[in-house]
Amino acid sequence: MKRQENQTPYIELCEIDKFFGITKALQKISLQIYAGEVIGLVGPNGAGKSTMMKVLTGVLPPTAGKIMVNGKEMEKYTTKESKETGIACAYQDLSLCTNLSVYENFALLNVDHGIFTKRGWRKNAKQETRDLLEQYFPGNRIDVMKSVEHLTLAERQIVEICKTLMTENLKVLILDEPTSALSTDKAEQLHKVVEELSGKGVAVIYISHKLDEIRKVSDRIVLMRNGMNSGECDPEEISTDELVEMLGGAGGKKEKTEICQESSSDKAVAAQIRDYTGKGLYHINMHVNRGEIVGISGLVGSGQTELLNLLFDSRKYRGKEKKGVLLNSSVSYVSGDRASEGVFHLWDIFDNTIIGNLDQVKSGIFLDQKKSEELAQTWYDKLKFKAEGIHSPIMSLSGGNQQKALISRGIASGAELIILNDPTAGVDIETKQEIYGLLDEAKREGKAVILYSTEDAEIEICDRAYIMHEGEITEELKKEDITVANIVKASFKEVKHQKVTEEKKENVLQRILGSRVLLPVAAMVIMILANASMNPRILSYMGLRMLVSSAVPLVFAALGQMFIVTAGDVDMGNGYSIALVNVIVGIVLTGNPFFGVIGIALFILCYALMGALIHVRNIPAIVVTLGAQFVWWGIALVIAPSPGGTCPQWLLSVYKFEFPVVPMPIVLCILAGTLCWWILFRAKYGMVLRGIGNNAIAVERSGWSYLQAKMVNYALSGLMVILAGMSYTAVCMGADANSSVSYCMLSIATVILGGCEMAGGLVTPAGVVCGGIAMSFITSLLTSFRVDSNYQTAVTGMILIVVLAVKLITHKKEGR
Amino acid sequence: MKKIMTKYAFIWPLFGSIVLWTAISAVSGKFNVGQVFSSAKLCSFALLLALGQMIVVTSGEGAIDLSQQYILTLAAYISCDLMQYNVILGIVAAVAVGALCGLVNGLVNIYLKVPAMITTLATGYIIFTIVLVLAPGMKTLPDQGLVKFINLNAGGFSMLTVICLIVAVVLALLLYKTKYGKQLHAVGQKRLAARYAGINVNKVVIIAFTLGGALCGLSGTLCGAFNGGAFQDMGTTYFLPSIAAAFVGGTAASGGKSNVAGVCLGALMMYLLTTFLNAASLSVGMQRLIQGAVLVLILVASVSSDAKKS
Repeated sequence: MKRQENQTPYIELCEIDKFFGITKALQKISLQIYAGEVIGLVGPNGAGKSTMMKVLTGVLPPTAGKIMVNGKEMEKYTTKESKETGIACAYQDLSLCTNLSVYENFALLNVDHGIFTKRGWRKNAKQETRDLLEQYFPGNRIDVMKSVEHLTLAERQIVEICKTLMTENLKVLILDEPTSALSTDKAEQLHKVVEELSGKGVAVIYISHKLDEIRKVSDRIVLMRNGMNSGECDPEEISTDELVEMLGGAGGKKEKTEICQESSSDKAVAAQIRDYTGKGLYHINMHVNRGEIVGISGLVGSGQTELLNLLFDSRKYRGKEKKGVLLNSSVSYVSGDRASEGVFHLWDIFDNTIIGNLDQVKSGIFLDQKKSEELAQTWYDKLKFKAEGIHSPIMSLSGGNQQKALISRGIASGAELIILNDPTAGVDIETKQEIYGLLDEAKREGKAVILYSTEDAEIEICDRAYIMHEGEITEELKKEDITVANIVKASFKEVKHQKVTEEKKENVLQRILGSRVLLPVAAMVIMILANASMNPRILSYMGLRMLVSSAVPLVFAALGQMFIVTAGDVDMGNGYSIALVNVIVGIVLTGNPFFGVIGIALFILCYALMGALIHVRNIPAIVVTLGAQFVWWGIALVIAPSPGGTCPQWLLSVYKFEFPVVPMPIVLCILAGTLCWWILFRAKYGMVLRGIGNNAIAVERSGWSYLQAKMVNYALSGLMVILAGMSYTAVCMGADANSSVSYCMLSIATVILGGCEMAGGLVTPAGVVCGGIAMSFITSLLTSFRVDSNYQTAVTGMILIVVLAVKLITHKKEGR
Repeated sequence: MKKIMTKYAFIWPLFGSIVLWTAISAVSGKFNVGQVFSSAKLCSFALLLALGQMIVVTSGEGAIDLSQQYILTLAAYISCDLMQYNVILGIVAAVAVGALCGLVNGLVNIYLKVPAMITTLATGYIIFTIVLVLAPGMKTLPDQGLVKFINLNAGGFSMLTVICLIVAVVLALLLYKTKYGKQLHAVGQKRLAARYAGINVNKVVIIAFTLGGALCGLSGTLCGAFNGGAFQDMGTTYFLPSIAAAFVGGTAASGGKSNVAGVCLGALMMYLLTTFLNAASLSVGMQRLIQGAVLVLILVASVSSDAKKS
């Protein structure tokens, strides 16, 4: 849809400035977005595209400038206002819960939050999701029942885009590199979607490095460079080559400032790679000589970081060629991703500088304070830090000054090869110049420097440069040829290797083998058979009843542990909390039912509050539950200083009920498993409960409370602990504050054997039930083998480690 | 103000100790420095565990050693048994076995990629089993010479306290004055950044576990001698106070921050708390309840501010 004359833009950015400290990310950027138009946004690395989108989505407040919606200036513009305006962005880093199925991810967004929902909402949700996917991407063959983690990258991207399309009152859709993982036909479908949306009056901002695509889909191409507008053009009047030229500037000759040329003295090779393929890299051939600066460039994510890591990791095999990689020198690494790979946030400049150079400042076994300070001070003076002194905390510095500390760490280490991964990201011009000066100095000292920069202009300081695209080096540029124009050109060059298409085929056998329930079910069957071979009578009604009876408390305890594991935490105190319930049931409840019931209700409340405490104060769950176990134990000891009490008659009659055909304990196990499965996998809120263990941000973005979900997880765990305590009371016919401690360890082992992931989100109630029965059968088996009861705890410990090791191996097979 | 508090984290447990001492004096009706000395003596075993825990936790990424109490018990048995041949052999062997247990923890954690919590939970039970199996055949009486030695007393200072102080000083030197100490704190803050700074992260973490284990071994040796022999549950009592002391003393649960002085005072404080609870003649249940509640409250007050920042 083309816009009419004199129409007011739906939303308009007017002369937006965005500064980070001294860094000018955006300068006087303006962008009008009219309803229904498709804007192709292009610009080289670091042009400020993503910053502008962050301003548009309200994530970053602009330093100066106006944002107008429908001609009216917005005084406040945050993510909330942006949402109300109808702006949605399909993020490159996916905002899906990977442990939930495709349709559940959609349902999280649009199912109502009430406690009760109409029956069949799942069916509806599935159908809606299927329809939606089919509508926009016909023939996608995505199974909406599959969990997102089993989808290919391309399929995930489709789901992500469709999820964004579901945004209510969608007016502006931002697609950031939407086709990076899509095949050509899927990309074309996406272009149709864009067309359709634009027909409906939705504006689309299409960001891509694929210039052909941009030309095809957009009504208008907006170019950006260095945080500024650098023109607009009509896609029909421009060729791709012209566009490349516009992006790279006029190109032409390079005005190289005379950076010393006498580096010829030492031409020894510091590192070289010969025809390396692997880790996302293809046929890499490169070398670095001493006394030169080698640049790595190309579009972000073309394999540059992988290449740098490959070189850095080969430091273990120094001087030996391995898979074509040969490193001849000591190496240091300077990362530009300061927050996650660079600074040690608890430390000052001094410690951050010397940590890479401890060998230099040692005298004997101790570090020499004076030498260390001298070293730090030398670099502090040399790099002209803007700080109070070498003992200023690193986090009090600006990004540029933090980077100085990292660079001095890297260079001062005395390494002969210095690898820099985008060291000037978010650094002001002045600091940049200083950094270039340092690199030049290092080069003159005969060191080799590899510089990867997302800023193409920066590569111009290099002696040679390799330009990468999709994991391949597409071009080697030398001296005068290193110009932004040439770099941009090479960045878009076709690559030789075939793109591997992700295609996962699954047959029934593989599906069974990959199932999380397989291990616990197999363990249970083997244990039953093993027990039966020792003593055939246990396969009778009475035999099974007796054996499974002792397993019931463990099954409940493990299910309780499972709810906490679902949220990504662990309960180290359930051994004593079961003891507390045991005491409440055996002593208080039998004596005074009223207080007993109140006690139980309070107990669940305490568990929920514990969850809230862990969430709100952000304390590791393991430490809190460890502390809490002494509280449970203490209360239990106060109620029952010595063992005693009885089991209430009604509880006993339930537990000993003569159920036809199937013994009662088995019925209880099945009921417990089904209940938990229903809560987690059938009930609506189960999606939320599982979602927070995987991607809490995505759940919160869909409008659910993280705190509430965590409290519900803990409360449900509390409920299971109560059931465990009750069945324990029925099994041992009394109350003892000290006897149920082992359930803590056993329940954790059971949860792991049952196929749950301790990291959270992935749980299998059926597996946990089978695992619980298997664990408890191991004990009886060992008893019938007349194994010393002392060995039994060790067996449990061994099982834990073996199961985890097996998991590690099988995960490797999946090729993750 | 806040700066001072973070820099001198030991102020908290120091303050707590003074308050508790005052409370004890109030309950018992007289000021008595002896209570501080006796608490300092009794806290030795938990203190050594706490120092070990501190080193492990400082290595970051949720590292924790839950097998400590069992290592202590095993070490106590081994030291008592071997002391019938030679005192020094007993001590050395116990410390070595402790270090070996820690080494296994570290290896499993790093190379099998099993989370530290689960690794140590599992190895803890295996170690406990070894204790149960070996115990019947072992001599459980300590060497009388050693018993006499650790019960020496000079001006109120027990030999145990002196040993703890020496260990603390050595550890403080190791953690704050050597290359390894710096690397450990770097690894604990951010393992990825440490890797890029050229640190062998695996080695640093494994050494941390090994050191932690060795301290448990030492604690077990002393504990066996002090209690006049080894018994199967001897480690259990020190579990809570040691964990509490480690965190109260200013160890960041998220790693990268340790405080030897703080942990020492933290252990003292936990034992003054026990003394106070005893002096107030509360039941065992109430004592546990209060100890647990105090630990959780302290965590809420102190740990969170660090964890939140990262």
